[in-house]
Amino acid sequence: MQTRMYRSFQGLLLMGMCVFFASKAANGQLTWYINSRFIPLTIFGIIFLAVLSQIIFAEIRRSRKRDEEHGHEHDHDHAPAPVNLWIMLVPLLIGVLIPARPLDSSAFATKGFNTNSPLVSADSSTQSVQTESEERNILDWIKLFNLEADISQFEGERASVIGFVYFDETLGENQFYVSRFVVSCCAADGFALAMPVEWSGAAALEQDSWVLVKGTIEPITLDDKVAPLIVADSVVAAPTPDQPYLFP
Amino acid sequence: MENTKPLNRLPRNLILSIAFGVLFIVASSMVPAEFLSWLWDRMNVFATVFLGIFVEAVPYLLLGTLASGLVEVFLDRDQMSRWISNRPIAAAVTGAFMGMVFPVCECGVVPLTRRLFHKGLPLSAGISFLLAAPVLNPIVILSTAAAFGWGQMLFWRIGLSLVIAIATGLIFSVESEAGNVLRPALTLSHEHDHAHDSSSDSFIEKIRKALLITADEFFEMGRYLILGSILAAALQTFVSQSALLTIGSGPVLSVLVMLGLAILLSICSTVDAFVALGFVGTFSFGSVLSFLVFGPMVDIKSVLMYSQVFKKRSVVYIVAIPFMMSLLFGLIFNYFQP
Repeated sequence: MQTRMYRSFQGLLLMGMCVFFASKAANGQLTWYINSRFIPLTIFGIIFLAVLSQIIFAEIRRSRKRDEEHGHEHDHDHAPAPVNLWIMLVPLLIGVLIPARPLDSSAFATKGFNTNSPLVSADSSTQSVQTESEERNILDWIKLFNLEADISQFEGERASVIGFVYFDETLGENQFYVSRFVVSCCAADGFALAMPVEWSGAAALEQDSWVLVKGTIEPITLDDKVAPLIVADSVVAAPTPDQPYLFP
Repeated sequence: MENTKPLNRLPRNLILSIAFGVLFIVASSMVPAEFLSWLWDRMNVFATVFLGIFVEAVPYLLLGTLASGLVEVFLDRDQMSRWISNRPIAAAVTGAFMGMVFPVCECGVVPLTRRLFHKGLPLSAGISFLLAAPVLNPIVILSTAAAFGWGQMLFWRIGLSLVIAIATGLIFSVESEAGNVLRPALTLSHEHDHAHDSSSDSFIEKIRKALLITADEFFEMGRYLILGSILAAALQTFVSQSALLTIGSGPVLSVLVMLGLAILLSICSTVDAFVALGFVGTFSFGSVLSFLVFGPMVDIKSVLMYSQVFKKRSVVYIVAIPFMMSLLFGLIFNYFQP
C-alpha cells in the first residue's frame, strides 16, 4: 500500500473513532462503558483525535503538493502494514454492529453477583448512614449491612431502590433480586450487587427489566451473612437510568 | 507484480466472504434458538467489556504517544546521555523514578519507552522505567492514596514496584548489546529518512511533526491495545471470575488468583487501586498487594504491546521476573504478616 493511501485511511479511521466517541458522549452512553469520572478524559480524547485526523489530512495535501513540485520521487517509500488499519477498524465495527447494551444479568454467568460481599470501599459507610433511607441505593444498603456494627437499627426502615430484575433458582416463589452493577473504572471491573425482594407479583416480572422497588427492610441470612431483604409493597416498571451503573 | 496483487486478491476475498456468509446463515438456522440467544448475550457482554476497556484506555494511549512524539522532536541524544548515567545501577534507579516526570500508565509507557530507547536510553533504565512508571507517578500515587489512605498499602506498593523494576532493569544490564533485546527500529513516517536538520524547524513545524508521530504510533500501539482488549474481554465473557474467586483461599492460591486476576482484568494502573479495594476483606493483604504491584507491570494488553518493542525472549523475561518476584513478596506477606 502506498503511503498516501495508508494516510487517507488513517485519517478516516481517526475521524471515525472521534465521531464514534463523540456520538457516545452526545447520547449519554459513555457511562455504559466507563465511570463518569473519566468522561473529561474521553472528551480530551475526542478533541485530540479530531486534531490528529486534521494533521494527517494536511500531511496528505502536503505530500501531493510535494509530488507536483518534484515529480514522483517517493516511489521507494513503503507505508506500515495495512493490518494496522484493519485492526483499528475492529472497535468501530463492534461498536456499530453490536447494539449497545449496558451490563445486565447475562454477565452474571462469569462475573457473578454479590448480596453481602464487602466488595465496596471500606471507609465510607458513614455517608450511607446519613443518607435518608429512601434515598439510599443498592450500594448504600449493602455497605450498611457489611460495615455497620448494629444492623438491627435498619430493620423496618423504608427503602426505595432502582435496579434490574434477576431471578435466581435459590430464591423462593415470590422473590427476586433487584440488582445493579458497580463500576470503579470501566465495564471490565464491573461487579453486580443484588438485594433480595419479596413481592407477591414477582412471577409477572421480566428478567433484566428495570424496576423501582418500594418496601421495608428486613435482615435475612444469605450464604451465612446478613443481607437486606426488601418486603415490597410496590414494584413498578422504571425507565433505564441515565447511568445504569453505580459509581462508588 | 506489486500492482496486480491486490486485484487478484480482491475477488478471492469476496468469494470467501460470501461463502462464509452463506455458511453462517445455514449454520445459524440449524442450531437451537437457546444457543443463539445465549451466544447473543455473550456477544453483548463481550462488546460492552471490550468497549469499556478501549474507551478507557484510548485517552491514556494518546497521551503516551503524544509524549513519545514530543520526546522525538524536542529531546536529542546528547541531552539524554547528559541526564542518564551509563552505570547500570544508577541508570536503573533513575529509570525507575522517571515516571515522576512522565506521568503515564501502562498503555502510554510502552511507546514512550521505545522512543526513549531510540534516543539512546540505556537498557536497564528503560526496563525499570517501563515497569515502575505505571505505579511511580503522581497520578497513580494519589489514586492509591485515595483508595487506601497514606498507609502500609501505598508504602509497600511503591517500595516493591521499585525493587522489582530496578532488579529487572539490572538483570537486563548484563546484556550489553541492545539489539539482542530490542526489536529493530521501524522508521515510522518517511520524513525522518530525509533528515534535514530538524533543530532548525520552527516551533509550529516541530509540533506538527510530533503530532504526525503521535498519530502513527497510536496506530502501531493501538492495534496491540485492541487485540489485548479483545482477549481480556473474551476471557471475562467466557471464564468465570466468581469461580476464580471462590478457589482463591489459602496463602499460596490467593496470591496466584490475584496475579491471574491482574492479567485477566487488564485495568489501567491509574484506577486499579479502587478495584483492588473491592478485594480487601476477601483476600489477604499480601494477595491484594501482589495484585497492585504486578497488575501495572503485566497484563494482556501490555504484554502484546511489549512484543512490539522487545524480542520474544526478552518479553518472556519482562513478564516472568516481575511475576516471580510479586509471587514471592505476596507469599512473604501472607506467611509473616500477622
